[in-house]
Amino acid sequence: MIIELKKFGDILVSRPAGREAYLAMSAYLTRDVDKNEEIIIDFSGVKVLAPSWADEVITKVAEEFKNVELINAENQSVQATLKTLREYSDLKI
Amino acid sequence: MKNNLEQLAYEWITAEADKTDIESAFYCRTRDIFEARSGRMFNELVKNEKFGSNSYVIMAAVGEIGNNSFDHNIGSWSDVPGTFFGYEFEKGELLIVMADRGQGILKTLKKVKPELKNDAEALKTAFTEKISGRAPENRGNGLKFVKKNVEEEKMHLTFLSGNAQAELNERMVITEKDKNLRGCLVILKVK
Repeated sequence: MIIELKKFGDILVSRPAGREAYLAMSAYLTRDVDKNEEIIIDFSGVKVLAPSWADEVITKVAEEFKNVELINAENQSVQATLKTLREYSDLKI
Repeated sequence: MKNNLEQLAYEWITAEADKTDIESAFYCRTRDIFEARSGRMFNELVKNEKFGSNSYVIMAAVGEIGNNSFDHNIGSWSDVPGTFFGYEFEKGELLIVMADRGQGILKTLKKVKPELKNDAEALKTAFTEKISGRAPENRGNGLKFVKKNVEEEKMHLTFLSGNAQAELNERMVITEKDKNLRGCLVILKVK
């Protein structure tokens, strides 16, 4: 399945907003999805991503599902945030 | 303090509680207000010829610093809740100033690292170590992200808390000051 982050907003910065996004995602998008299914996280349309928001969503999705792919992640703040999560939050993707 | 905006923030953070200007256009009592105003700044930045290409990481850094004030002080503000947030374009330079009258870095981090001796040690820890003042929650990567982007994008960050001051550009220098500042005062400059 594809998770389009732009549907949660285009400026994704705070932890409370990230937590709310993850809860909504868990209830409406990924609830019945098999843990082995491929999850594609699509960053297209995201203008600003900060580690606090991403740590509540990207890190948790990567922990929950075994097969996660990130696409359209060229944005400068997306790249910088993913780098930080890989270094400090043990993000493995 | 050199600039009028920096001076306003300094006065806002050092004033007695009953003399703090809560009518100020720079005062963000809640996170919602901070996010709305920083979002407006981002929209201006994106359209700016000079800063447009850096606007995404500038906004991400501002979001981390400003939201930190709320994340780490909710329920324990010293007196006046919220933050000071202001920005201006002057002589080809972008100036962003943020401040809060919260617990400060040392008091926040001492809960999880009791061996911290002073404000300077606490600032160094905040910018370089994987540590969270809100343990056991898995947090604590925001200021490392800010430091990295200040270095890479050739920005200049001054971060004051307690009697310590961190100056960051391509490297970080932490010094101790004569005055003790409650909470945090942050000045970000982009040329």
